Amino acid sequence: MEIKSSGRYWNPVLETLPREQLKEMQFKKFKRILEWGYNKSKMYRRIYDAAGFEPGDVKSWDDIFSVPTLQKEDYRGAQAKDPWPYGDSLCVPLEKVTEYHQTSGTTGQPVYQPDTWQDWEWWSESWAYILWAQGFRNTDRVFIPFGYNVFVAYWAGHYACEKIGCEVVPGGILNTEERLLKIQELRATALMATPTYVLSMADTCKRVLGKEAKDLTVRRILCAGEPGASVPTTKKRMEEAWGAKVFDHVGATEIGGWGYECLAQPGGLHPNEALFLVELVDLDTGKPIEEPNRSGKIVITAFDRFAQPCIRFDSKDVSMWGESCSCGRSFRLLKGGIHGRVDHITKVKGVLFSPVAVEEVVRGLPQFGDEYELVVSKKGDVDVITLKVELLPQAGVTPEEIQPELERQLRLKTNLAYKIEFHPFGSLPRYEVKARRFKDLRHT
Amino acid sequence: MLSAEIDLKEMDCLIKEIKAKTERLVEISGGMQCVDRNCDRILASLKMLEINVCDLQDILE
Repeated sequence: MEIKSSGRYWNPVLETLPREQLKEMQFKKFKRILEWGYNKSKMYRRIYDAAGFEPGDVKSWDDIFSVPTLQKEDYRGAQAKDPWPYGDSLCVPLEKVTEYHQTSGTTGQPVYQPDTWQDWEWWSESWAYILWAQGFRNTDRVFIPFGYNVFVAYWAGHYACEKIGCEVVPGGILNTEERLLKIQELRATALMATPTYVLSMADTCKRVLGKEAKDLTVRRILCAGEPGASVPTTKKRMEEAWGAKVFDHVGATEIGGWGYECLAQPGGLHPNEALFLVELVDLDTGKPIEEPNRSGKIVITAFDRFAQPCIRFDSKDVSMWGESCSCGRSFRLLKGGIHGRVDHITKVKGVLFSPVAVEEVVRGLPQFGDEYELVVSKKGDVDVITLKVELLPQAGVTPEEIQPELERQLRLKTNLAYKIEFHPFGSLPRYEVKARRFKDLRHT
Repeated sequence: MLSAEIDLKEMDCLIKEIKAKTERLVEISGGMQCVDRNCDRILASLKMLEINVCDLQDILE
């Protein structure tokens, strides 16, 4: 078979494979990892046995959807026992494990993530697809302002940069000012950080260094950890502050780096369907969603991760399928990237509410600062949403003047009314990694 | 960017040859850690080549 390589894709064959062939390959790989998990992990065997399921039951594509999903709690239940600390979820001898990472523990006990060296190569391979699609090349000097700790965050991004030939500058334990000075000194061309930190660095640059971030040399920024880079108004703020192109990507400790925005920036993310089976399922019924523009929850299988396999893992990320992209990849498109998490999308006053929609409104109004906070509480039997915002010192309007426009846009976007609180600029919490701007106090 | 034709079949054969030779190296290393551990890394990289090239063979043939 003759195939042309253009250098546009990390893997020009897999990324442009016709859908039918892609699906055939995915089915084979799904069955292989399913057998592996069942045969090597007591955790998977326990879950499948309890559901009366065995890998041989998967005979056709549609049978995939009957495989029990894996929850974060399943890992938690299997771990913290011998072989310490991975317990029954581990599928290889402990001496084969070379990498330890863990989830942040935001929703409970952290999940421990073991990887063999091969799994770790696979992690950086999945990131290489991402970086290449976003135009990172061996001419880039990439600054990574990340704490290099137990969280996987940009570890794989670091290794993948090396793999594709970039020069990597580890921003480690430097503070924000020192990081900015190092970016300036070394003339770094690219950066990786959460949207929150990208905006915070730009703010520090102005306040402390007395210069605009766009006057530095960074022209490409990869974001992760929060949906911001797929929120048009947040992306615009970051791109204007840095004079750089900002790209989104999505990944998780238990899964890998599974989706990315390409150079065409089609307003969404491509799931990497060569390495992952990415399903969108109905929030209530769990039935697969194939049509565009319908919200669902993402369930993911990593085909080639073996120490602690990820088979039909319930990511709790919410998105929807979009139309095709002009980049030439046959991978589908998740329109608008990740819209939020199931645990954050909640009913308020009987209306389905996503905090990301509020971010889009606040950051779309140039009079407001980057920070905001949302608190849902109860007054008697009535839900109350409080939105705390900061006016920029140079906003040129009073709270009374801007409030009606803010309320109008919020109502248009979310069909809900808000109690607006104006706070002095700089007084709302600032975050260095992932922000926690949404608080639901109704059940506390 | 350069444009070139890709011969997946030839690449598949070469990857399998390199894998077989690497595994042979481990067999005859006598437990030399400097050989075994570096071979382990080569095999991990070869797995990435299998994912990117060899796993496609059945589908494309």
